[in-house]
Amino acid sequence: MELNLTSEQGLLRDSAAKFIGAAGPKIARKFRDSDHSFAPQRLREAGELGWLGILVPESAGGLGLGLTELALVLEQAGRGLVCEPIGLAAISAAALGFAPKPLPLLSRVMTGDALVVPALQERAHGDDPLEPSTEATGTGTTLQLTGQKMFVCADGADGFLVSASGRDGPVLCFVARDALGCTLQPAETVDGRRLAALYLDQTPADLVSPYPSSRDAVDALYNLSLVALSAELLGVMEEAQRITLDYLRIRKQFGKLIGSFQALQHQAANIYLRTEAVRSLIFQVAGNNEPWRIDPAMAAAAKAKASEDALFVTEACIQLHGAIGFTDEHDIGLYLKRAMLLSSLMGNAAAQRRRYVAIAGLTA
Amino acid sequence: MFRHDTPAEASFRTEVRSWLEANLPGSLRDRTTRPPPVELMPWYQTLSRKGWIAPHWPRQHGGMGATLNEQIVMTEELARIGAPHLPVQGLNHIGPILMEFGSEAQQKKHLPPIIDGSVIWAQGYSEPGAGSDLASLATRATLNGDHFVVKGSKIWTTWGHHSDWMFALVRTDPDAQPRHAGISFILIDLHSPGIRIRPIVTIAGDDEFAEVFFDDVVVPAENLVGKLNDGWRIANALLGHERLGTSNPQFALQALERIKVMARATGIIADPAFQDRLAAASINVTALSAMFSHAVELTNNERSLGPESSVVKIFGSELLQSLNELLIEAAGGHAAMEEPVATNAGVVDVAVPFLFSRRVTIYGGSSEIQRNVLARRVLNLPA
Ligand SMILES: Cc1cc2nc3c(=O)[nH]c(=O)nc-3n(C[C@H](O)[C@H](O)[C@H](O)COP(=O)(O)OP(=O)(O)OC[C@H]3O[C@@H](n4cnc5c(N)ncnc54)[C@H](O)[C@@H]3O)c2cc1C
Repeated sequence: MELNLTSEQGLLRDSAAKFIGAAGPKIARKFRDSDHSFAPQRLREAGELGWLGILVPESAGGLGLGLTELALVLEQAGRGLVCEPIGLAAISAAALGFAPKPLPLLSRVMTGDALVVPALQERAHGDDPLEPSTEATGTGTTLQLTGQKMFVCADGADGFLVSASGRDGPVLCFVARDALGCTLQPAETVDGRRLAALYLDQTPADLVSPYPSSRDAVDALYNLSLVALSAELLGVMEEAQRITLDYLRIRKQFGKLIGSFQALQHQAANIYLRTEAVRSLIFQVAGNNEPWRIDPAMAAAAKAKASEDALFVTEACIQLHGAIGFTDEHDIGLYLKRAMLLSSLMGNAAAQRRRYVAIAGLTA
Repeated sequence: MFRHDTPAEASFRTEVRSWLEANLPGSLRDRTTRPPPVELMPWYQTLSRKGWIAPHWPRQHGGMGATLNEQIVMTEELARIGAPHLPVQGLNHIGPILMEFGSEAQQKKHLPPIIDGSVIWAQGYSEPGAGSDLASLATRATLNGDHFVVKGSKIWTTWGHHSDWMFALVRTDPDAQPRHAGISFILIDLHSPGIRIRPIVTIAGDDEFAEVFFDDVVVPAENLVGKLNDGWRIANALLGHERLGTSNPQFALQALERIKVMARATGIIADPAFQDRLAAASINVTALSAMFSHAVELTNNERSLGPESSVVKIFGSELLQSLNELLIEAAGGHAAMEEPVATNAGVVDVAVPFLFSRRVTIYGGSSEIQRNVLARRVLNLPA
């Protein structure tokens, strides 16, 4: 169903769609087969368009827009299998920008000259984001971190936003890529990208000054990540659906277009249904929450639903293609793989449902 | 649910909540099937006197002219208190149809009694031989000077035996091709001579619907809505609204509450496997609320919500069924008990709402038909 957008939002979506026109499966394949995960120049272009500072308050040099705008851009990024980490950069910039005294790095993050990505996750099944096992010691604004993070999108990153447990609860810190005691161990993902384990050993880190408290900074960045991943998953679902519907309209068997078979029509309707439910949910969450204060239950709900439904949709899309869908040559598999990646990050559907039980007070 | 009320909405919510607490009789709360008219209509009339019976109707016709968010606040508060399911044939079907296609005289005569609850309406579309394939309907209305003569029968007519009037699709041109070009939309006074009505008991044990027989029933020609043989278009024009009405998240919210009470009572709430399903269900209820308000928002902006409303209908109805499946699972050994189950948190109806929920994927266009509609009309798949 069509979204009820302002004309500015419509323009933003159009320009994001135009930007991804130059991306898509072909480019994604190119990066899959190369040592680089993305083109730094394209990230800077996204910066020039203002998207990396989309949530950063105008007073700090950003566009000062909301979650709806972020979701509109990331939905397109998902559709185009965009390799540049626009979402990660934008939410990291937001986390830096919400601070009353942003780190000097913020302006370079917004232009795309420096890449900062979140490093929050510690276990395969997600975890309580507010109780990280990574430890922060020391006082003041320079701390030492010891611990380990998993599944960090570290390729090309100059630094990380790391959550840790300090003396008074969780804190959010900036760790430079080349900081002392900071090591990375990357591993390939199915879609040719890399996720790294991040090891910190007494690593110096800058406290991202709290807004209004550092606990909230961790919470804010975590929930932002969930919404950002969900919006990108929505785009993946949409494009997989589009490709599949096109196929149903041209492939013939038994002398008929296969799209005329009722069993396949009903599965196509199921794909549409899942996609639309995710769209309504994400844009409702986006429209009703401030970027720095997202209702955690809503963020968990969005990520759980988008993760589950994106896998359902992309799996069904493979089936509707028959054997051609099982080949590496055909693009539809790239969408399944992107869905696998995005749905697994920061807690998959089951992990988010487990959190949701606790946060939404379902058993109380 | 996840909207934050504006100050005005918050005070409206408080007003609605305290008024409902004070005015909705306890005996009508958390009912799983629709209470009979003797119990339900006084409540309908109480809402009407308060001016809240038709939030979505414009003020000029006696509605509230409420904003979208006010309508959602109402829905949420009605769900919270467990308000009963009102008869919707007047409020959601014939009312809006008359506002769009009825003559001024028809509007004057029929709209006020819908608002004040003095007249109950029935929808006469389905026939024994015409269900999903509605265009094959055979009930004849022959125009004879200043009146029609109606012969045939309608079936599955909700509240047929409690209703005063029926809006019906009838065949006025037996030779028309395609078949739907020979159908007209008329209003029939169910107290007319020649009408016989037989209530039908459902699997849920209630007499929700009826069969209505017409034996040369005389219907004044002025009861024709719109033009002769133009009934198909009129019936379809507002289908989107009907589909939306049946997927109101109010019912899903009530079902979710019932599951939680039952699961706590039986102790299954502590089981992680059950918790996972409960979370999935609850997240889907949130998604349904989002979809529903998204759809209402589009219709309120007068962008036509045509076949897309099928998506909300399928999602809402199938979700309601899966919630009721979870309910009988939560109830364990109580699942098949006819009487409501007494728990430490109150009495919970289990089997009846489960059985009752089997209807929602059948009426208003079955799930299969809705998927056909989506595939052809929204996804443009080949025939
Ligand atoms: C509780 C309840 C209240 C109702 N109230 C009213 C009312 O007030 N007024 C009124 O007019 N009607 C009412 N109905 C009737 C309802 O609209 C019909 O039941 C519905 O249109 C389906 O028709 P049918 O029952 O004849 O089933 P059929 O059309 O015979 O369908 C049988 C099965 O076949 C499937 N099927 C049929 N055609 C296709 C196809 N082309 N492709 C795939 N599958 C198909 C159906 O989905 C269903 O599963 C009510 C029904 C119920 C259950």
